[in-house]
Amino acid sequence: MDLLGFLFDGFSLPFMARAAAVLAALSLVAGVVGVLVNLRGLEFISDGLTHAVFPGIAVGFVWGGREGLFLGAMVAALVAAAALTLIARSAVPTDAAIAVVFTAMFSIGIIVVSRETNYAGQLQQLLFGRLLTISPAEVVQTIVICGVALLAVTLTAKEQVFRAFDNTGFDAAGYRPLLLDLLLNGAIALVVVTASSAVGTLLVLGLLIVPGAVARLVTQRLWLLFPVAAVFSGVAAWLGLAFGFAASVDLGIDLPSGATVVLTLVSGYFVALLARLAVDRVRAGRPRSEVAS
Amino acid sequence: MGFFEQALLAAVVIGALSGLVGALVVLRRRTFFAQALTHATFPGAVGAAVLGLSIPLGAAVASVAIVGIMALIGRVGRQGSQVASGIVLTAGFALGVLVQALNPTLPVQVDSFLVGSILTVTNGDVLLAAGVLVVAVSVVVFLGKEILFSTFDVDGFRAAGYREWPIELLSLALITATVVTAMPAVGAILAIALIAAPAAAARLLASRATQIVVAAPLIGSASGVIGVLLSRALDVPAGPAIALTAATFFLLALGMRRFGASRIRLRA
Repeated sequence: MDLLGFLFDGFSLPFMARAAAVLAALSLVAGVVGVLVNLRGLEFISDGLTHAVFPGIAVGFVWGGREGLFLGAMVAALVAAAALTLIARSAVPTDAAIAVVFTAMFSIGIIVVSRETNYAGQLQQLLFGRLLTISPAEVVQTIVICGVALLAVTLTAKEQVFRAFDNTGFDAAGYRPLLLDLLLNGAIALVVVTASSAVGTLLVLGLLIVPGAVARLVTQRLWLLFPVAAVFSGVAAWLGLAFGFAASVDLGIDLPSGATVVLTLVSGYFVALLARLAVDRVRAGRPRSEVAS
Repeated sequence: MGFFEQALLAAVVIGALSGLVGALVVLRRRTFFAQALTHATFPGAVGAAVLGLSIPLGAAVASVAIVGIMALIGRVGRQGSQVASGIVLTAGFALGVLVQALNPTLPVQVDSFLVGSILTVTNGDVLLAAGVLVVAVSVVVFLGKEILFSTFDVDGFRAAGYREWPIELLSLALITATVVTAMPAVGAILAIALIAAPAAAARLLASRATQIVVAAPLIGSASGVIGVLLSRALDVPAGPAIALTAATFFLLALGMRRFGASRIRLRA
């Protein structure tokens, strides 16, 4: 199969096109939210959120099937986002507390799923996603929710960046951090909910933090971070999907698409990392060699 | 010894080890690091199962590789340790599930790596955990003072003429060994609860560091045993039951501290 065929052939199939649409919407919003996660250093809190949403997904799934899954995840995510915002403001918080509370919620989710027949198969589906069996209705849901999250973040982008770089100045300027934190954590939660059914609970974090980290490696210009992150995650998602498809069609190996997408993201990250290291080394080496000569 | 008694024994040993090393994790603020490490053992375990090697060995090899990669990322400007942990964490899960998909005939239940299955631990698992526990206890007994000094006052520690990296390396090694040995019992996802909760609970109520180091292993063992008993009584998976018990201890400690207003506030 030639390169163009590798990149485009699979997407004429409806289920591949649906997966691509979902991933395109997710990449756009995850790129933008991911840069803010990176700038604010919210990686750990995002990880907590992905764990906290899991019991909602599990309860919704057990009660209402796939439609219930969405509703349950939404409720859990919004509650968790509010709780996290408040925990982060109270005096007690440590990263240990966040880890403990959200791992406990994750345990509740696993116990709920374990009541089901075919426990192992369903657990695997919830944890690692089912990108290729997304229904048309779910595509619409994903795009709408991603749109809401994107709107919430872009409308407050300037304030979010201000808070990320100069928290004291932000307070002094009279802004209200609570509302802003709620908005950002809420947007992260929405991304987690939509991405959970696509790439699975355990792989969502990759979508949230890898694009932002890559953007930080690629450019120092603040407003370039957002488009770089979104474009990078879009391209990586596309390549990952195409790769998974090619593997299953040409080689007969059934690879989970969520995993190939996330691994493509991570490989892209390491390419960017090595390139950055090389560039830094060349730049650092140059003045010294000039002095020597 | 029946399998249930063996599970109880494993719960006591692994709980004590997790609690003791958890004190290091919590006091040195390495929770996200430890969490990334627990998640990253997953591909190592799957890989070892595919190759027919010992599971803890595979997990240990993966952990060492992970620590190296995280150190590399942490050194690059504009990245930092949180990014390193997060990236390694998702990469670990993606890699693990991919390796599993490449080997559909794998004889082992992969989700037992994720949420643990303490009822099927082997004698080797328990012996390994006991060995690591002995090492951890002797480290705390012989080097406890130095570790505490470097944890609470790095600058003072350096100024007093100590070198920092041996302590850092030692605590990394202990954390890694604990993560690897705790995995059969509570799995890659839930291990962090058993590691962080007992120590976090102990820290809330203790007024001295020594008390934390003594109380955390006790709480850890208790969480393990109560979790296994609950798992049998209520017919739920053991890994989540243990994690939830440990988390309950933490929440109880939080409540007791809130209401015990007479207690002097611990800074840190």
